[in-house]
Amino acid sequence: MHPSKSIIFFTVFSGTGYGILLCLSYLAILTDINFDNNFKLLLMITSFVFISSGLLSSTLHLGHPERAWRSFSQWKSSWLSREGLAAVVTFLPLMIFYLFWYLDSFLYIYFLHSTSILCLITIYCTGQMYATIKTIPAWNNKMVTPIYTINSICVGALTVYCFTRFYGFEINYLYHFTIVSLSLCLFLKVIYWYIISKKIVSTANSATGLGKNNNISLFEGPHTGKNFLTTEMINKIKKEKANFLRLCFVVLTCVLPIYMIIQEASLIIDSFMLKVSFFLVLIFALIGMLIERYLFFIQAKHVVSLYYGEKKSINE
Amino acid sequence: MTTLPTKQNKKLGLVIDLDICVGCHACAVNCKEWNTSGHSSPLHDIDPYGDDPTGVWFNRIHTFEVESEINGSKTVHFPKSCLHCSDAPCVTVCPTGASYKREEDGIVLVNPDTCIGCKLCSWSCPYGAREYDEEAGIMKKCTLCVDKIYNENIPEADRVPACVSTCPAGARSFGDLGDENSDIFKLVEERNGYDLMPEQDCAPTNKYLPPREKNNQSNKKELESITKDNEITFDSWKEIIENASK
Repeated sequence: MHPSKSIIFFTVFSGTGYGILLCLSYLAILTDINFDNNFKLLLMITSFVFISSGLLSSTLHLGHPERAWRSFSQWKSSWLSREGLAAVVTFLPLMIFYLFWYLDSFLYIYFLHSTSILCLITIYCTGQMYATIKTIPAWNNKMVTPIYTINSICVGALTVYCFTRFYGFEINYLYHFTIVSLSLCLFLKVIYWYIISKKIVSTANSATGLGKNNNISLFEGPHTGKNFLTTEMINKIKKEKANFLRLCFVVLTCVLPIYMIIQEASLIIDSFMLKVSFFLVLIFALIGMLIERYLFFIQAKHVVSLYYGEKKSINE
Repeated sequence: MTTLPTKQNKKLGLVIDLDICVGCHACAVNCKEWNTSGHSSPLHDIDPYGDDPTGVWFNRIHTFEVESEINGSKTVHFPKSCLHCSDAPCVTVCPTGASYKREEDGIVLVNPDTCIGCKLCSWSCPYGAREYDEEAGIMKKCTLCVDKIYNENIPEADRVPACVSTCPAGARSFGDLGDENSDIFKLVEERNGYDLMPEQDCAPTNKYLPPREKNNQSNKKELESITKDNEITFDSWKEIIENASK
């Protein structure tokens, strides 16, 4: 599938914004999250900017962004509609949470948890939108939605963790939460890569119906140039390049942050270097996540490719 | 609404005979010709006279080589357009309700005024029936010539989709595939018409008729030797010619 920049940006940044809130919600259950106002403000601005810029970016790939409001109407049948609706509704408790949290009102806790539930619903809808597309075997998979969720949570937690490094203080439970969620992200992704390499749904034989046991090959395409289908749905990436990018994701988003978090005491000398290092860890983790999303698209093979010369709808 | 109709009064669709299709692309050309001034007009082309032209087409003809142990190798021309599925995933994924299936005849259409161009419907279609119009910013697709088949301003004989009326070989048939007494339904029964990618569970309305089996075995004749001893020399040629000229 064509890796649309606006959608990749949307899932990574909105996801991270939601992840920050989910992480705060988790911490709020276990400990007190009444941090100092500057730190609160940093988290508020980051989560808000990430979520809203991601959502705005997602409308950029539309042919008619000005009609985007129409997509709230079909929530009964369409996951995309549900996603749009959930994303917008989330802003209501989110803004109230920001206000109460900043004002140190005890009420913030209710709005934080209700925001988190809506964040989870939004992420779930996004995941389901992809997971219910039967024509793309790599997406039509029970692991897609959990991976969307864990991606959000782990980078969100990492963002909060890196911010605590900038301010030089500890939050109880955050250390373990970050490491566990990053490890889980890596674990689920590796299983996912294994699963998609095995799954065959349709073949050139079922696509054309020209004999189950016959060898069917494309003799002549419908035209000599490209068309919408070939540019949007038939994208290829060399296996070596894909494997290299997978490694980049594993190192940048999972291994490097975990290593830095665990080895922090033995690695960093002064506080300035500590801030710079964790700033870079965060940037690299986000880049790794962008790579992961890119691969999610470019490696997903659409069954329409069977009409354009592919023999099996299998993923590399 | 983007939910599918609970009942369908008619199931209008096409039957494509792969045994007859000669791969001339006339159906695709006439489809473009009619539809660029019809319901979904215009069907934009980008860089039409340049080095890298692309454009919106509702019907495309693929050609496959089929190698079979029994029948040897054969070339099959394979026209493909929207199959107007009964269980159309392109309809239910639409977030705006722009993509819909008509209850009265089962035709799947896109409302050009409410489509936001998110392309999700094209992703959900296994057949690649939908094509995005870059210039218009909306999705377009085969309308089964909805503006032709009900058009009372043209002679009744012409009220069939453009691809059907133009086919010089008669490889395409149009009719109500939900009516068990219709000619088209009987044709599908008789020729074992089939669905494309049944495992995708879309219940397509359009059917394909398979190419007939080659019947080489009964026509095959052993060649007779023209000489008795199977040895042809210059003299024996001379003899054969002389015998033939008598």
